[in-house]
Amino acid sequence: MVETSHVQMRKWWHRWFLMPCELRQRGVVGINMRNARFLLPNNPRRLYRLVDDKLQTKALAEAEGLSAPETYAVIRSPHDAARLEKTLLHREAFVIKPARGSGGKGVLVIDGQKDGLYLKPSGTGLTGDELRHHVSNILAGLFSLGGHRDCALIEYRVRPAKVLTDISYQGAPDIRLVMLHGYPVMAMLRAATHESDGRANLHQGALGIGIDLATGRTIRAVHHGKPLTHHPDVGVDLIGIQMPEWEKILDIAVTCQEMTGLGYLGVDLMIDETLGPLMIEVNARPGLAIQMANGVGLLRRLEPVVKRHALHPGEGHAEKIAFSKALFAAKLPG
Amino acid sequence: MNSKWKLVVAVAFLVLLGGGVACYKSMKLGVPFWRGAQVHDWQIEARVSFLATGKRVKARLALPTAAVEQKAGRESGSLGYHFNIERDLGEYTAVWAAENREEHQALYFWVRFPEGPKSGGEPIPAEAPELGNASLSGAVGVAANSIVQRAKAVSSDPDALFVALFNRFNSDDVSQEFMLVRSHYEKEFKSNALILMGLDLLEMAGVPARMAYGVKLDEEAVSQVPIPLVEYCDGAYWKVRDPRDPGAVLDGREIIVWHRGGGPLLDVTGGENSKVIFNVAKERIPMASLSDLQDSPLIISTILGLPLAERAVFRYIVLIPLGAFVVVLLRNVVGIPTLGTFMPVLIALALLEIPLARGLIMFSVLIGAGLWFRFLLSRLNLLVVPRVAACVVIVTLLMMVMSVIANRMGMSGGGQITLFPMIILAWTIERMSLIWEEEGKHSALTQVGGSLVVSVLAFLFMKIGQIQYWAFYFPELLLVLLAGILIIGRYTGYRLSELIRFKTFADA
Repeated sequence: MVETSHVQMRKWWHRWFLMPCELRQRGVVGINMRNARFLLPNNPRRLYRLVDDKLQTKALAEAEGLSAPETYAVIRSPHDAARLEKTLLHREAFVIKPARGSGGKGVLVIDGQKDGLYLKPSGTGLTGDELRHHVSNILAGLFSLGGHRDCALIEYRVRPAKVLTDISYQGAPDIRLVMLHGYPVMAMLRAATHESDGRANLHQGALGIGIDLATGRTIRAVHHGKPLTHHPDVGVDLIGIQMPEWEKILDIAVTCQEMTGLGYLGVDLMIDETLGPLMIEVNARPGLAIQMANGVGLLRRLEPVVKRHALHPGEGHAEKIAFSKALFAAKLPG
Repeated sequence: MNSKWKLVVAVAFLVLLGGGVACYKSMKLGVPFWRGAQVHDWQIEARVSFLATGKRVKARLALPTAAVEQKAGRESGSLGYHFNIERDLGEYTAVWAAENREEHQALYFWVRFPEGPKSGGEPIPAEAPELGNASLSGAVGVAANSIVQRAKAVSSDPDALFVALFNRFNSDDVSQEFMLVRSHYEKEFKSNALILMGLDLLEMAGVPARMAYGVKLDEEAVSQVPIPLVEYCDGAYWKVRDPRDPGAVLDGREIIVWHRGGGPLLDVTGGENSKVIFNVAKERIPMASLSDLQDSPLIISTILGLPLAERAVFRYIVLIPLGAFVVVLLRNVVGIPTLGTFMPVLIALALLEIPLARGLIMFSVLIGAGLWFRFLLSRLNLLVVPRVAACVVIVTLLMMVMSVIANRMGMSGGGQITLFPMIILAWTIERMSLIWEEEGKHSALTQVGGSLVVSVLAFLFMKIGQIQYWAFYFPELLLVLLAGILIIGRYTGYRLSELIRFKTFADA
């Protein structure tokens, strides 16, 4: 069966841009629409601090019994920073991140130690002084939203499951779920490439891999907006990979919505080899690249949820997941 | 729905209020709505200030005859003073009087007249020109005499004599006689020594001469002191000339003669340290509507009732919302990425004062050099706030260096780059270097380039004469602009940049 209704004639301008009506037809959500229709009405300002400060998010997660990477230490003052190495003495691997950072800014991953140097995943070594300088930058608010003073979090270094490391060039891929009113609407996997230098930011050249909400299998991959089937550096097949413990992932995501109270949010997770899915952070302003990775306009999924939420306001955890799985299952060709 | 209606009501209210007031001003009060319909008038504000000594105070300020006699507007401002205009043989004097005044006092007098070639220094018939009794004795007298004789030898009439004499003054004459006479006058008189010397030399040559005062028609010259001029009699007419440019007849588009006919410009009894300063402004709306406006209860019109020096500040302040509007438009509808939200507005304001090309070059050089220094600094592992402060110091020094270089290369006005908002520049450099390290140079350059494009567009918008005219004379139209910003605030359509970003979006 071929869905002719969606197949469009290729016009001369498609090489440079799409008309607004064509984007609307495909259900693409733009920044202005995201902000005005989904962010502002559903995310009250006072709730932002719960997710903008990772310390608070983690405290909430702990209260809910949600699995998240263990916090080793919180550095709040220059005095703490000076004693950084004493605090870290018995830790082989760890991650330093700003509590109020965004978009992965200021995250430093240490994989191991050798000859008194701290080794990054890429193999470069850092001295204790460089580590302390990084921490003092975090404290001064260099990476935080709005440049406010911040504290640094030292936590467990996630050892990603092998299925995931296989499809990533260095770095650990993470899973992003976007939710509205607690209904999962879309999911994707972000995998680093040589070009993105171990980072998982799509506009820096990372891969966006769409995940079927119903099964947890990867269905589509894009690089700089163009579809592809194999990793450009590693060469492995990217389609049809099953995410381990998909049910638990959906469960964590829905719990995140319940504990923060945000209407529209993104949840970032990683899958640890031994600990399984771990909640990394909650984002109150999730980006729009996820629709490119899935090849589906967000509006196609957000509108049914809005309707459903208006008709059945008090749906429970399991019902929400069931609704999303049923309605948003990928329609595989053929 | 609810918030949508609130928006509609708010927008309608703002448009009606702003548009209504503007219509009222334009239709009822006759303020021209289009810039082409405006008049070209000059308004001069004379500000007399002195320290009253606690007794009876009387201040007399000589007035320009033309402005009082013609229908040109005049007005005085002084709380609690008795004011009248005295007429004496064609000379007009403003007289303020009051009892028991103490401390600092300020009196205002405003004159308005149309722009034109008439300066008020035109020849007037001389009835009985009598010579003063300028006499110098001893060595100074001999020296003065020899200067006069030499000037007389090369000139046939009083006009030529005047030109010859003052040309020698201006050409840095270093002859012994000249130096002798000059040092005598400089010892005797504190101010205007050279002009007083010129007056006396003219008298010695048999040409009656006296002081006159002018005001430069230059909006940029804030709080200018009266310019001393020379009035001399060529036998039949009294003429006013500028001793700094003796050969030229005064041009009414550049200077106006405020006081002539001898006598003091300002005379204050019962006060010390008296002085008069002038401020000049172009007036673009007819006087009749201006006075209607100042009497009408419209609060907005009070901007036109402010002293000229304060009004001049608003000339720029009213442009800032326009720049902000352009930024909103370009960010939310077009989708150009910028570094910081309102940095482009500040850059655009700075550009208003500097020629565009030079401003852009200076901005790029400052950012480029600052970035280089910033990367040098990053090796020192400094904390954030000291690092930004160090950047401010470096930006300041760079500006000085650039001013000096610009000056050496013969470009005047290099000093104007100080208008660049320095703290903002330093932060820009800091943010840019971070983005450079975190996201690569591509992102950093895109954002700085975007900021520049936005600021140039904002500048071009603010530069439009009609826009400036509306912003200054119809500030209530800013409410309409506000309504526009509110509407953009609810725009949920795609940004132009998103049409390109999602161009590869294919339906799965």
